[in-house]
Amino acid sequence: MDEDGAHQPRSYSEPVAILRPDEETKVRELLDGLERPVELLVALGPEETPLPGARDLDFGAEAVKIATGLAELSERVSCRVEQEPEGFPRFPAISIRPEGRDAGVRYDGLPWGYELGSLIGGVLDAGRAEPALRPESLEALAALDRELALDVFVTPT
Amino acid sequence: MLLAYRCALASPLVTATAIEANEFPRLAEELEVWSVPRIVVGGVPRWDGSVPEPVFVARVLASS
Repeated sequence: MDEDGAHQPRSYSEPVAILRPDEETKVRELLDGLERPVELLVALGPEETPLPGARDLDFGAEAVKIATGLAELSERVSCRVEQEPEGFPRFPAISIRPEGRDAGVRYDGLPWGYELGSLIGGVLDAGRAEPALRPESLEALAALDRELALDVFVTPT
Repeated sequence: MLLAYRCALASPLVTATAIEANEFPRLAEELEVWSVPRIVVGGVPRWDGSVPEPVFVARVLASS
């Protein structure tokens, strides 16, 4: 609040606590283990009206808070915000990019609640030098001869 | 969700997107998302629920 007690808009670059202190310590430790840098590209744009009863949130602003909050926890994680970048059909969205490269890993919507773990898990996997899958899974995927889009519908609770 | 992400990170042919069903209700309704996680492969709903990695990869490849 300013001197008059009015709320001021929060800057996108202002760090925000998105985790409890004990959780933050654990996530910092996990992010310290990243073997390569990971960029979070937050895509903002027109948002679909959520279902009645959904929390009254600015989903885009909250997505930025979460991504910047994570980036604050590690020098190996960075965050960038773009308005309506190409290749994003829904907003907000967060693209998880190993070494800044678009690897086709994305979260559409606000990764809050239980789904914050999916975003953090995605960052940890993107920060691995080698794939996290078993050798037999990698061998099976290597036989793939066409592009494949996996969409996983989730909810935060 | 992480298995889908891992597949995308392991293969340049695979993309993986988590979609928050409450925020995109029209798409969720179109794909009949009544429970989560609902796994959609190539735009076609395939199954609901978490499965072990070998099952996930086998189902994904069988759906391709």
